[in-house]
Amino acid sequence: MSGEQLIDIVLLTLLASTAIAIARLRNLLATAMLTGIFSLLGACWMLFLDAPDVAFTEAAVGAGMSTILILATLCVVNAEEKPSRESPIALVAVLLTGGVLVYGTLDMPSYGDPDAPATTSPITRIYLDSANAPSEQEEGHAAGSNPGDGFVVGIPNTVTTVLASFRGYDTMGETAVIFTAGLGVLMVLAGARHRRPDPSMEIEPEPVDEGPGK
Amino acid sequence: MDAVRELLGWLWIVPGATFCVIGGIGLLRFPEFYSRMHAAGVTDTLGAALVLIGLMFQSPDWTVAVKLALILFFLYVTSPTAAHALIHAAHTTGHEPLLADDPAPAHEGDIP
Amino acid sequence: MKNHVILRFVTKLLIPHILLYAFYVQWHGDFGPGGGFQAGVIFAAAIVLYGLIFGLQAAERAIRPGLVQSGVALGLLLYIGVGIASLLLGGEFLDYDALGHDGQHHGILLVETGVFITVASVMITVFYSFAELIRRQ
Repeated sequence: MSGEQLIDIVLLTLLASTAIAIARLRNLLATAMLTGIFSLLGACWMLFLDAPDVAFTEAAVGAGMSTILILATLCVVNAEEKPSRESPIALVAVLLTGGVLVYGTLDMPSYGDPDAPATTSPITRIYLDSANAPSEQEEGHAAGSNPGDGFVVGIPNTVTTVLASFRGYDTMGETAVIFTAGLGVLMVLAGARHRRPDPSMEIEPEPVDEGPGK
Repeated sequence: MDAVRELLGWLWIVPGATFCVIGGIGLLRFPEFYSRMHAAGVTDTLGAALVLIGLMFQSPDWTVAVKLALILFFLYVTSPTAAHALIHAAHTTGHEPLLADDPAPAHEGDIP
Repeated sequence: MKNHVILRFVTKLLIPHILLYAFYVQWHGDFGPGGGFQAGVIFAAAIVLYGLIFGLQAAERAIRPGLVQSGVALGLLLYIGVGIASLLLGGEFLDYDALGHDGQHHGILLVETGVFITVASVMITVFYSFAELIRRQ
């Protein structure tokens, strides 16, 4: 067994055991900590799969901000999960869904497969060549009917190019999702922020956004 | 020359990894919170620092070594601070340490 | 957190470096791993750290809640603004080539800045909202 396979197995085992521990523990403080650990292990896993940008984001968001926000929530609610009845129907549903998902992944190409659509499609060449400087691109590019013939971006990091230029519309949607999430949090929790106990204002509706704070 | 650098790197990485494992064993085997935090805090910092120094020897480029040195500095500052924060929080909320003349606890709760 | 001398000192030592690292990740995202999302979260993490150690009032004096609330929308506005600018300059929506010579580079920079502003503002706003909720409890 090669070293890489060993790291593979160890990381996935740790991920699975952390997930099982998160599901089984009733103390929510421990669960919050384990969620942070799960995100960190997930980031290591993504780094192992040669995806540093995603690993970066996962580590920063999952192991950093998310843990803080879960702990902040725990300050407001109980620190112990209520005992739930274990139902066999739920177990069957989970096993069925998991089984169908695993059956679906059997159809996916293996990691680094030379026949996979990601490797053989002409668009991959266009994406990867966009990182080259313009002069290199003109000679390395086969003249033909490629739609992106001569498409010059010139930025070394292909992930940023794909994210911000080739798939810029999707990134705009992602930013809009984050914006909406922030808006949702503000609408739900801003009532607690700006509510001042003033008897003369009790009939008026509370404005959600009051401009600059203190 | 590269083989010498790689060997030098391994000479630092293996003891670092060993210290991390020892810290892990201590985390599991010590009887109460304060001794566990001591084991985790001290060996964690030392093990990670040794591994980073070993990686600095093995780095292919001097820029990578500089970045590793920065990581080492930040880890050296934050890891003991995190241990201090935990122990201080436990102490201020009233968690008592297990002293030598106390009777040994039969069972520590799941979050001791 | 009045008598946490070690924590306050270490935080004062670290926060400038965290902020600098956020900006490094943001602008260096073209040449290595990084970009707007990561940089925004790291920036917000620095502000959250400041708020945790020195108190919510100190953090809100440094980064005003109204400012971050407008930042939430400003980032997305910048992103869409780049798209509309390309429209007005003759290309399609979000076609950076219409932004002039070296348009791709400028377009990507502006767009990533927009993402950075939105992500950082949303994270800080969520933290402020939760902290206010805890404080009012």
